[in-house]
Amino acid sequence: MGKDAFTPQKRVTSGSLPTTTTNGGGKYLPGRVVPRGRQIKKTFNNIRITILCGFVTILVLRGTIGVGNLGSPDADAVDQSIIEETNRILAEIRSDSDPTDPEQPPDAEINPNVTYTLGPKIENWDFSRKNWLESNPEFPNHVNGKPRILLLTGSPPNPCDNPIGDHYLLKAVKNKIDYCRIHGIEIVYNMAHLDKELAGYWAKLPMIRRLMLSHPEVEWIWWMDSDALFTDMVFEIPLSKYTNHNLVIHGYPDLLFEQKSWIALNTGSFLFRNCQWSLDLLDAWAPMGPKGSIRDEAGKILTANLKGRPAFEADDQSALIYLLMSQKGQWMDRVFIENSYYLHGYWAGLVDRYEEMIEKYHPGLGDERWPFVTHFVGCKPCGSYGDYPVERCLRSMERAFNFADNQVLKLYGFSHRGLLSPKIRRTRNETVMPLEYVDQFDIRRAKH
Amino acid sequence: MLIERCIGAYRLRRIQRTLRHGKVTVICLILTVVVLRGTIGAGKFGTPEQDFLNIRDHLVRKTAEHRRVLEEIQPQQQQQAKTISDSAQSSGSSSTSNANSYIEFDINTILKDEGPEEKPDPSKPYSLGTKISDWDEQRSLWLKSNPQFPNFIGPEKPRVLLVTGSSPKPCENPVGDHYLLKSIKNKIDYCRLHGVEMFYNMALLDAEMAGFWAKLPLIRKLLLSHPEVEFLWWMDSDALFTDMAFEVPWERYKDSNFVMHGWNEMVYDEKNWIGLNTGSFLLRNCQWSLDILDAWAPMGPKGKIREEAGKILTRELKGRPVFEADDQSAMVYLLATQKDLWGSKVYLENAYYLHGYWGILVDRYEEMIENYHPGLGDHRWPLVTHFVGCKPCGKFGDYPVERCLKQMDRAFNFGDNQILQMYGFTHKSLASRRVKRVRNETSNPLQVKDELGLLHPAFKAVKLSS
Repeated sequence: MGKDAFTPQKRVTSGSLPTTTTNGGGKYLPGRVVPRGRQIKKTFNNIRITILCGFVTILVLRGTIGVGNLGSPDADAVDQSIIEETNRILAEIRSDSDPTDPEQPPDAEINPNVTYTLGPKIENWDFSRKNWLESNPEFPNHVNGKPRILLLTGSPPNPCDNPIGDHYLLKAVKNKIDYCRIHGIEIVYNMAHLDKELAGYWAKLPMIRRLMLSHPEVEWIWWMDSDALFTDMVFEIPLSKYTNHNLVIHGYPDLLFEQKSWIALNTGSFLFRNCQWSLDLLDAWAPMGPKGSIRDEAGKILTANLKGRPAFEADDQSALIYLLMSQKGQWMDRVFIENSYYLHGYWAGLVDRYEEMIEKYHPGLGDERWPFVTHFVGCKPCGSYGDYPVERCLRSMERAFNFADNQVLKLYGFSHRGLLSPKIRRTRNETVMPLEYVDQFDIRRAKH
Repeated sequence: MLIERCIGAYRLRRIQRTLRHGKVTVICLILTVVVLRGTIGAGKFGTPEQDFLNIRDHLVRKTAEHRRVLEEIQPQQQQQAKTISDSAQSSGSSSTSNANSYIEFDINTILKDEGPEEKPDPSKPYSLGTKISDWDEQRSLWLKSNPQFPNFIGPEKPRVLLVTGSSPKPCENPVGDHYLLKSIKNKIDYCRLHGVEMFYNMALLDAEMAGFWAKLPLIRKLLLSHPEVEFLWWMDSDALFTDMAFEVPWERYKDSNFVMHGWNEMVYDEKNWIGLNTGSFLLRNCQWSLDILDAWAPMGPKGKIREEAGKILTRELKGRPVFEADDQSAMVYLLATQKDLWGSKVYLENAYYLHGYWGILVDRYEEMIENYHPGLGDHRWPLVTHFVGCKPCGKFGDYPVERCLKQMDRAFNFGDNQILQMYGFTHKSLASRRVKRVRNETSNPLQVKDELGLLHPAFKAVKLSS
């Protein structure tokens, strides 16, 4: 009884949730049959509240985490566009396309019937050069008692396929700059393809010829690959040995003439005297080079005639070997095949022995005890893939670089903290009389 | 019903009401916590945004880092793919799939430092090295006893060593090393033409003086180790030679020891932090230079000293933003405050661009080609175009990447054209890497002279003994 009177009030006051607002509570019987109308209303209210809550939730979430593209904060969008723009620029820089030639006509295929030439035939170069040197005594071909040498090296004009490739090109250039500064040699770093036909490894030929003709004061032109590092900073090429020769190249005569091997010589590091003979050899060398069908056909001939050569287009090394083999009488008397020191040193047999060399020997030997040049054939760090595992190649290149750099840093009293470390440590304390050490450690003063 | 009979309907309703209240309270509490977490975060429990990102990363497995603006892009492999023996290569996303692939190789996995780290003594004040007081005497004695290493290689031409450098580790930007390579080629070309020796530094001689200050210990060490060098020419790695024919007027500096590009009024009167530029300067090899290096160095040591010094410099110099002490501001401050000590031997050159700010030069190259010629060195044909602020080796620069890199290409080609014309070639355009012939080959190459006379220039002629 009291219960009944109580209930409606309770019902009304406890109706904080709108779902329970009712009128005429007296008629309302909890737990009993609920009239249809009420039920509908109740459902309606439930739905309304659900929608309201859902709405509030979405608002809150949107404010906190955003909903992706539908109105996220500005910063993300700006970042994204910057990233896309930068990627586009980097892709453009690294591609081979030329921004100024949108409609480049396709390169005309060279006529295979016409023999390719590096340039107009020059007949009396020795005579012209001698005259020039006589009338230009301020540009002599000997400097400080030594013949003038020009070191030529280069790399393609576009970025490497991988950033690490460019980094090692940079280190290789530093290595060459150091050697050439110590020995008074000039450097030409070529980044241009002078001749569309002779691209790739053949690009050195037109450049060598061009430099010879433009610089009569240069006595020797030394080509060096970009993947070859100097590892003996003290050793100097004994040019007096070659007074009767015009081409100095590393190789093995037995491999060349008896075995006819395609690696009998190495054209990664060689010297050409600036003379008529060299121009003639370059002219005889070039015909296998022009890219396209000529190079492919020549490649087949070379593979057939040289032992161990895989099948690929003609490369300059195989072509030179073939030329010297087949025209032995014409050329070989002026070619010096050098193997008493490592004018080119194949890296695989050398790089693991650096610690042993440091312990037992000293710079200045140039041979297997302390190699003059360590040449990373096959590593191809500028491309995407090499012939050897990347870790081995890069580790070895880093070691060779530091091995050589230690010899340069010795003058300054520093050394690398290990052959794999870019950091250096002091090996000699500072002093008030630095010139004592200069006298002792400067490589140039030791030689001259 | 059972409960109702136990407790009583009245109490049951009260309990139900309490429960309902409780439910409402809990829901409101949760909502509040969520909103607060969304707005101010909850410490290590993170924010909903971080949750969302974590979940998304977990599900999608993205490897791109969004904070890096300059990302490594997957290189085009089509051309190089044919050199690989096997064709079963993955898209290059993991280097473990092929040990011969250079893609995504991390050089840090092979670099290793041996031996102890050198720790400086914190109690001793920083110094570049043992104080030397008689360097002029020592040096002139040495030069006398070594006549084969003269400090002058021509009647007016001193022996110059150009010094530049970069980090021994690969650049963070994927094309940064390529631009360093182009920059060094550019310097090699100028130095070959002008008989200048080069030193490319890739070693940090003193860990205290890292960053822009690294040049100070290096310069001191080189001056002391190369007494035959008369002038040391420091040049930043982001500065390019754009006038290959211009020879520095050495005789103008016969009474000066330190030549920088700048303006006297801006340094001494205005104390403007860009009143001079230390990206390209000449320093004579003498006692005075050692002394000024010692006076310059104290603001350099990294850490607290550099920070504090930075604040002083920002306060004292006009227009300087807030950042740690840099060598340029420190030099402005040193000269402005100690003019009587140093000013007489410092030459602030502005008749030609020993340093040329790239922003005002690079758009005018075509106009220069049309109206002027190399050999002027000034605003008509700048000697040096210096890409301050571009930082191509780093992740972020002060300028948009596209402008910087494209303009560096143009400046490089502008300089390279002067080298290529010696051999009869030129770039197809200032933006192009390709070259075209402009002079035909001839059977009489020695009759042909290059337009600029750079093949055998006067400044390269050797001293003829009479």
